[in-house]
Amino acid sequence: MRAFPLLDRPANAVLFRSRDEIWTGADFLRDVARVAPALPNARWIVNCCENRYWFAVVLAAGLLRGQPNLLASDHSPASLAWLGRLWPDAVSVSDTEVSDGPFPHHRVTPIRPHEKASGRPVNPEIPGDRVAAVVFTSGTTGEPTAHIKPWGGLVERTRAGGQCFGFTEDAPATVIGMVPQQHMYGFETTLLMPLHAAVASWSDAVFYPADARAALAATRAPRILVTTPLQLRALVDFGLPQPPEMIISATAPLAVTLAGSAETVWATEVHEIFGATEVGSIASRRTTRDTNWTMYPGVSLQRTLEAPLIRAPFLEPRSLSDDIEVLDDNCFRLIGRGGDLVKLGGRRASHAGLNHILTRIDGVEDGIFVVPEDLDRHPSARLLAFVVAPHRSAPDILAELRARIDAIFLPRRIIRVESLPRNRVGKLTREALNALLESAGPE
Amino acid sequence: MRRNTRLSASEQLPFENEIARLIVESLHLEIGPEEIVPEQPLFGEGLGLDSIDALELALVLSRDYGMELRSDDPANSRIFQSLRSFAAHIQSGRTKQQTDTRERGVS
Repeated sequence: MRAFPLLDRPANAVLFRSRDEIWTGADFLRDVARVAPALPNARWIVNCCENRYWFAVVLAAGLLRGQPNLLASDHSPASLAWLGRLWPDAVSVSDTEVSDGPFPHHRVTPIRPHEKASGRPVNPEIPGDRVAAVVFTSGTTGEPTAHIKPWGGLVERTRAGGQCFGFTEDAPATVIGMVPQQHMYGFETTLLMPLHAAVASWSDAVFYPADARAALAATRAPRILVTTPLQLRALVDFGLPQPPEMIISATAPLAVTLAGSAETVWATEVHEIFGATEVGSIASRRTTRDTNWTMYPGVSLQRTLEAPLIRAPFLEPRSLSDDIEVLDDNCFRLIGRGGDLVKLGGRRASHAGLNHILTRIDGVEDGIFVVPEDLDRHPSARLLAFVVAPHRSAPDILAELRARIDAIFLPRRIIRVESLPRNRVGKLTREALNALLESAGPE
Repeated sequence: MRRNTRLSASEQLPFENEIARLIVESLHLEIGPEEIVPEQPLFGEGLGLDSIDALELALVLSRDYGMELRSDDPANSRIFQSLRSFAAHIQSGRTKQQTDTRERGVS
């Protein structure tokens, strides 16, 4: 089995930085060596660190000890309780006093800069098939699906990403991440990149436009803003006096017009990453220039009679739920996002699954969720639902749904109708639904 | 006997109503502004807002009130707790800004 080092950066390279602290490669290896022996024995570690540097230290310490990190994307009591039921032999580890969920808690104590240990840092080699992390996708019913991530696959892909974006130790950029490090996209770009590609990562949470403005003001060029289409739209409205030299967007298709205005206003480059939690980042494009997506080095597409398969090191070949047309081994065109898949705010649900849940509510005779066509481009776009339920009120039905599905998929409108315009085979066409919507009137 | 002149707990104050209107309009909610119970949680249970809504509200606040929401603000969970706390936060920020402007001698 091939082995991969924990770190592939010079000892003096800055891996992470905040407004008043920097952490180098040597700091990282020493902190991992200090933190690892103190971790409690458990099969899994629920990594709840807020600071990206400490998150990376705990990930690496768990990796050395063979304790994979569970990256729970949602720290709500309900989600952590669910995690506790399915992954019982786990401890939560964080860089704060706060203990989330049903797990025994261990706190990682940061040391102050003047107390930093000296001595030669050790950079261990880790077998490529050792599981580093378990990442979750949100399911329709709020029950996430687990995806296992072996260390070798993560390292190979991170190197490929660094190569694809042309990162170099001659002039390392700082990545400012607006996406959480527990999500696959944020995990790869803001947490793994600093370990295996030539970038530093901003250690603090950045979510609001004002956060991005402050982080950009506190870092020197070149800066790379890792964001999402909705946040990019907000940033364009909000304005950035010190724009980043590069922007990377993912999670939903980015409108060419939005990418274009960001490039014009800020004299920057806007790139997109294509990926999924199951397979990670697999392709990229410069939105204003490329219609098609180019695969990351080492990742390829295999044509089959059905959906094309993604092939990459340490990855079980698998297909995507999105509809893509393979142009050659390393290039594809995106035809449409997965037919049955509803993506909202980084969460996913099956449309059929949502409808099934709706129609199983007592007193609901028929019903369907309507997915607006601009769902992934419009910040306030949410689902709505038509229901046939003569004896139940809309708030009533909403309360029932709230107990059964992820909040983000709750319909913003529930329109009660006498019947749904199903055709002879019982199907509802988009046209029939649009007509029904029109007769229901504007919001 | 003293008459109790306090507002009933679930009645909106005038400024709260202004903010309720702003929330409903900017997030295209399917309810009337007066239907937001001032003490009800804005996120999750309650009004059911989510992180995308928070982003949108941050933009509206900066546009209409010149206020900025920040992730590292330890008061965030309190600010977003309810319409009442949210409105109080905006009002105090607004008062502070007006004072600052006066102090700088800018009209």
